[in-house]
Amino acid sequence: MLQGSFSSIREAFGRTLVKLGEADKDIIVITADVGDSSRASYYKEKFPDRYFNVGISEQDMVNFGAGLSAVGKKPVVVGFAMFLMRAWEQMRNSIGRMNLNVKVFVTHSGYSDSGDGSSHQALEDIALMRVIPNFKVVIPADAAEVERSMPVVLNDKGPLYYRMGRDYSPPITSTIDYKFEIGKAYTLRDGDDLTIMGAGVVLWDALKAAEELEKMGISAAVVNVPSIKPIDKSTIEYLARKTGRIVTVEEHNVMGGVGSAIAETVVSTYPVPMRFVGATTYGRSARSQRELLDYYGITQKTIVNAALELMK
Amino acid sequence: MEKGGSDGIPISIEEINKLKEMANRARKNVIKMQFYDQSIHVGSSLSSIEILTALEMKVLRESQDPANRDWLILSKGHAAPALYAVLHEKGLIQEEELWKIQDISGLLQGHPETFIPGVDMSTGSLGQGLSFGIGVATGIRMAKGTGRVFVIMGDGEQDEGEIWEAMTHAVARNLDNLVAIIEVNGFQLDESTKDVKPKEFLPEVWRAVGWRVFHCDGHDISSVLSTVEEAVKSKRPAVIFADTKRGKGFTPIENTKRQRVVPDVARQFLLNT
Repeated sequence: MLQGSFSSIREAFGRTLVKLGEADKDIIVITADVGDSSRASYYKEKFPDRYFNVGISEQDMVNFGAGLSAVGKKPVVVGFAMFLMRAWEQMRNSIGRMNLNVKVFVTHSGYSDSGDGSSHQALEDIALMRVIPNFKVVIPADAAEVERSMPVVLNDKGPLYYRMGRDYSPPITSTIDYKFEIGKAYTLRDGDDLTIMGAGVVLWDALKAAEELEKMGISAAVVNVPSIKPIDKSTIEYLARKTGRIVTVEEHNVMGGVGSAIAETVVSTYPVPMRFVGATTYGRSARSQRELLDYYGITQKTIVNAALELMK
Repeated sequence: MEKGGSDGIPISIEEINKLKEMANRARKNVIKMQFYDQSIHVGSSLSSIEILTALEMKVLRESQDPANRDWLILSKGHAAPALYAVLHEKGLIQEEELWKIQDISGLLQGHPETFIPGVDMSTGSLGQGLSFGIGVATGIRMAKGTGRVFVIMGDGEQDEGEIWEAMTHAVARNLDNLVAIIEVNGFQLDESTKDVKPKEFLPEVWRAVGWRVFHCDGHDISSVLSTVEEAVKSKRPAVIFADTKRGKGFTPIENTKRQRVVPDVARQFLLNT
């Protein structure tokens, strides 16, 4: 458990994009002047004819992508999570409404843009994107899952929002063997007393929390839910029945995000007591993402406390 | 502004008259549509009739291949009734559907949707059509296709920031297969355009950022056709400022901010024309 080394999620994204571009000539990468920051620019080095920087204009970027997909291209729209949200209405009214094959890939989500502070930290985007009909929402747990999921995601038809951070990527899935499918959740660790589930890099804290709980004699399962929409109803229901208690964890506001999506499933299948670990307000600047996760209490400790509360 | 002039094959008087008849029928059908649904945007639609007729009947080239056909994007989506009335003239929409506009069981939505035959982009939220058009025009060029893209916008719509983003973007791509048409009817939802935000300098702005700028009478089919012909020959993105009147040809609301009248007034008007 918890083997492997830290790596960079955006590096994995940039490199995988190039690999996929070799095989599929229809993949067009578009960015709003954050090619270097997102590592989308690796694509430009390899395929300059299939790469567009539209400038600092996210609304235009979204509809430009929509237009390209209307003539059969496979646009990959790349921006910072926070600034794609100013084009939320364009995603809703053009991509979603016409059900176009546009993939929206964002980096710098959650607290990952630590130094830039609250203006750059997207803690609301999951809530905003999962309510758009036709849009799927995928959140890779780590760099390894980026490599594993991107071929599947880019092969899928229709609108999809893919949420990544920046560099911080603790090892979560690198040592596990599984086939990535949209709509499936994956057990990282078995357990009987409760289940900790969530998405993104904070699953590392969930795994550490489960180790600590084990020392206290509590058996906690840990489940990776990379596909927030569609969500894996049967696995979630199964775990609710099996363990009877659920703690969710996310690097996003607890309102409307991963925990809410899981709770909607739980209350409509097999209601059990739940606790939600995540953000509750805007972020602030810090020297690292880890500092912010600690500062806002999205850590091993808060997950353990939430679990102990449920065990009472 | 450059005035459009034709040096191509001249269009015959008979053909122009035929197009005028179609536009007149479409105009009457838009006025009639408000008997069935009183919330449609009659004024904005009547401002677009001749432009849509000219493009749909005379300019747009069809093909099964998305890169080798022309695209028409009605960015001012509230003029949907005009588009539907013209598409009916084209034979793509049944007459009975026109009377079911905005009806829950009908095909025709309050704003264009791509599931309606002849509609190339779902619109309704202003300011989005030009960016989409740039995407289509770029895709056509990447596929080495011959398709051209026409985007119709309103003058009030120019308030939207995304248009600025798209305006400079089209120039950066140097798209010569893209023609934007801005209808200048002088009104937006609440007030006259001059009472909201200045618009009179817009042709200078478009020219300053690198567009070829044309001007035409948006209710004169020959003027529209000859200007479009010039615009498509430009080696740069081209924009046509088309002078129009809101409510054109429907005297109870013509050239006012009013979108519609009570059915009795409309009925009386149709009886008298």
